[in-house]
Amino acid sequence: MIVELGHYALVLAFALALVQCVLPLVGALREDRALMAIAPPVSISLFLLVSLSFVSLTIAYLTSDFSVLNVYANSYSAKPLIYKISGVWGNHEGSVLLWILILVFFGALVGYFGRNIPAPLRAATLSVQAWVTTGFLAFLLITSNPFERIATPPMEGQGLNPILQDIGLAIHPPLLYIGYVGFSITFSFAVAALILGRIDAAWARWVRPWTLLAWVFLTLGIAMGSYWAYYELGWGGWWFWDPVENASLMPWLVGTAMLHSAIVMEKREGLKVWTVLLAIFAFSLSLLGTFLVRSGVLTSVHAFATDPERGVFILGLLTFFIGGSLSLFAWRAPMLKQGGLFAPISREGALVLNNLFLSAAASAVLIGTLYPLVLDVVTGEKISVGAPFFNLTFGPLMIPLLMAVPFGPVLAWKRGDLLAACQRLYAAFGLAFLAVLFTYWLWGGASALAPLGVGLAVWLMLGSIVELLGRVKLFDIGPRRALSRLIGLPGSAWGTSIAHFGVGVAVLGIVTASAFQEEHILTMKPGSSVELAGYEVTFDGLIPRQGPNYQEDVGLFSLRRGGVEVAQLEPAKRVYQASRMPTSEAGILTSWFSQIYLSLGEAREDGGVDVRIYHKPLITLIWIGCVIMAFGGVVSIGDRRLRVGAPTPARKKTRAKSAAVAAE
Amino acid sequence: MPTMIFWIAIAALTAAAALSVLVPLTRTRSRPESVPENASVGIAAPDLDQDAEVYRAQLEELQRDRVRGLIDDQAFDAARTEIARRLLAAEDARTRREASAPASSRVLRRAAVLAALVFLPAVTLGMYLMLGSPDQPDSPLIARLQAPVEGQSVGELVARVERHLAQNPQDGKGWEVIAPVYMRLNRPEEAARAYDNVIRLLGSSATRQTDMGEALAAANNGIVSAAAQAAFEAAVELDADAVKPRFFLAIALAQDGNREAAVAAWRKLLDGADETESWVPVARAELAKLTGATAALAQPAAPGQPGPDAAAVAEAAQMSDADRSAMIEGMVSGLKDRLRGAGGSLQDWQRLLRAQMVLGREAEARDALLLAREDLAEDEAALAQINALATSLGL
Repeated sequence: MIVELGHYALVLAFALALVQCVLPLVGALREDRALMAIAPPVSISLFLLVSLSFVSLTIAYLTSDFSVLNVYANSYSAKPLIYKISGVWGNHEGSVLLWILILVFFGALVGYFGRNIPAPLRAATLSVQAWVTTGFLAFLLITSNPFERIATPPMEGQGLNPILQDIGLAIHPPLLYIGYVGFSITFSFAVAALILGRIDAAWARWVRPWTLLAWVFLTLGIAMGSYWAYYELGWGGWWFWDPVENASLMPWLVGTAMLHSAIVMEKREGLKVWTVLLAIFAFSLSLLGTFLVRSGVLTSVHAFATDPERGVFILGLLTFFIGGSLSLFAWRAPMLKQGGLFAPISREGALVLNNLFLSAAASAVLIGTLYPLVLDVVTGEKISVGAPFFNLTFGPLMIPLLMAVPFGPVLAWKRGDLLAACQRLYAAFGLAFLAVLFTYWLWGGASALAPLGVGLAVWLMLGSIVELLGRVKLFDIGPRRALSRLIGLPGSAWGTSIAHFGVGVAVLGIVTASAFQEEHILTMKPGSSVELAGYEVTFDGLIPRQGPNYQEDVGLFSLRRGGVEVAQLEPAKRVYQASRMPTSEAGILTSWFSQIYLSLGEAREDGGVDVRIYHKPLITLIWIGCVIMAFGGVVSIGDRRLRVGAPTPARKKTRAKSAAVAAE
Repeated sequence: MPTMIFWIAIAALTAAAALSVLVPLTRTRSRPESVPENASVGIAAPDLDQDAEVYRAQLEELQRDRVRGLIDDQAFDAARTEIARRLLAAEDARTRREASAPASSRVLRRAAVLAALVFLPAVTLGMYLMLGSPDQPDSPLIARLQAPVEGQSVGELVARVERHLAQNPQDGKGWEVIAPVYMRLNRPEEAARAYDNVIRLLGSSATRQTDMGEALAAANNGIVSAAAQAAFEAAVELDADAVKPRFFLAIALAQDGNREAAVAAWRKLLDGADETESWVPVARAELAKLTGATAALAQPAAPGQPGPDAAAVAEAAQMSDADRSAMIEGMVSGLKDRLRGAGGSLQDWQRLLRAQMVLGREAEARDALLLAREDLAEDEAALAQINALATSLGL
């Protein structure tokens, strides 16, 4: 009964979402208060219904109810509890259900907390959200129903893909989905604004926190996925430019751009139309990512063609939502009131620069991801676009952007003074220069770019600190008053600095881990040792071991430093019994921010084994940097104030002008 | 009864969903429509006020910032001017809009009520009855395992014993119960593992070793593997007269290509065997397969009669299996064609029937029998002999 109740709730949610698609939207267009008032309670009902459905599927998983086809195909009665739960979204049907759950959750948040959003905007937003919900519920019910039953249930299930039996992958999808789907709400806000034909102050006020929320989760989800690939795939790499990774990076880049343009919109009422466009693109790229991952088009374009039902359905949804919203944009955008123009040397100018670079970078990733697919479809030729392409396109776009980051926050609104900004940053610049020299001295001229990269990272980190110190006028009013001002600074200022600092930290990790990595790839016999980064790595032997549902060959390695044993590492190669699928487990030693990474290759007949050993200096900073960025986002969401950015009347007008001219 | 509860539950769900549409509608209606409402009744104030409200809140915030000393007077003035400018613009828009203030439409509200009371339940029920299985109860694994034994399927019972054994792997009796069931369910690998456990826990016996060997052989598509052979040998060691293990060992010898030893083993097994035992015909057939096909044809044809001569039979013994069976087939079909065309002696027909039965061609043998009866119809004695042979061959 619980299963069928969940199924019924899902169907009911579909019908209710249909009602929500029409009534509040009509209400918003006709300014009919009664119809507009329907939207918030219905959004909450939708959330409750889909939750009920999700909970009943989870119960079916927990109780190993194999009369549910989905449970039978993806679970196993002897599986550990945590993987029974994560099994719910470890498969196609369940993950789409989770997607929808998050979709209606965001709708309910707007319905519940959005009391001070103007009624027509709120009604239209929730209506658009219901359009998206309806589309995906139809997809779920028609092509991939998780509640399909088996009349004579088998006694045992078929198990979970072993690669998913990992704590990292258990929590990675929900984080990523909250990020992806979070952009649905900014999308709905944008489309609602286009339908209503106006972007008012409340719109600008509301878009930023929602973007931030989605952005924080997406950042964490991407970092988590990257760390998982690092320790599970056994190649020691942390980013592969794989289409699945790119699918999450593209909405992140556009979301980051939107985050910044929303600031301009909120404070200066500029860039409104542009922000609307970014909101549409951010969610469109999320949909594209879902299509790429869920349609199976990545595994093989041809497999997709032979079993096209799901892929074609998502493609239809994609076309409808992206095409529809862009057509609406083309039709309505010219009618929207544009914000004022502004000078290139100003906070707004800097944020526009940021947007240009981020959008260009997102386009580069988009081309690199889709081109091989298109080529395969059109000519049947298979190519892979890998790191070289992205290093030549994405890299050069990121470097000037990162160099410009510290300037943004120290420039004034409306009329900035580049020279004054430089003066405030000269200390950071000097220290970054010293860092370049120091790196050069420490590691030698192995790579000319690496010291510059370290310098860039230091420039970013110090730049964000200098910005904070400048705000509290440390050098004008003395440390005590400055401290009290520091504490009183608004959350958004703290958030900016923290997030920019996090970017610097991540850049430092990326540069050092790739430029100064040491690696040995060799065959080791038991008892032999190899020297790496001051460690003596000894191979003690290979032993078989039995896990709960896998067998593994474990390599025993001991690490000594100055003759003293510091750690035992046990990298392994696993074979899961149910699927005979091999996976690898890396052995990792973290010392401060650096890591020793050991990965097993093939075993040789003479007792030797192929081993890859890496020393990756400061690599954990990549993920720590991402976590710091996300934390900055959280701090910034916490800032509930309504803000306005106005210029201070220019005292040194002539000087500012000459600076602007010089900059051009 | 549970079905009843289910229908009540879905009715309640549907009603709740419909109410979330209806309640806001009725609440709005209960207010006079000309009076603007405020947020306290659950409905947001019109957006026209809202813009202005945002700006007013911004102004207050700005004032607080100045008090806290976060911004200096100059910045404060600049920001206040900015906000004031926007506030005025918003107020302008408001006065312009208020002129055409909207009313709530009765038609639209009626449509909404219809949507909640008719559209919603109809669509949901229609779709659910199409997609769902309202009569199928949940079947959580634990409950299925604990349900009364009566009326449970074999699969369920097996799973139940399996669960019990997973928790009590030392229960030899349990393994002994499930092992033959596995065999019957055609899961020989599991049967072999179960017999292995039985022997480990309850001790070895000729029967258990034999059963394990049989399971191992079945798991291996009938090939007696080294492990199976070891089991049969252990059984023979415990009971030298046991027929079944010796039977399988003879098969193993034949499979190893050890023909003489296999023939000897079969002969020894059949020596003094009770003819009524079910395994005897099989053993005979096996023996015949090793010796019979050639033996049946091995009576050299009388001089002047076509048929393999002694030399050909001797040659056949030297050939590989494939070549030999090709040769035998060739001879049999040659014999058949000749007898069909011109008829033949009693001996010829007997040879054909035996050869066809050895080659496993029962249908052809039946055809041949009919032809033989026709051909020998005039010879009473020959007819009787043919019929006797047919009976002994099981035709």
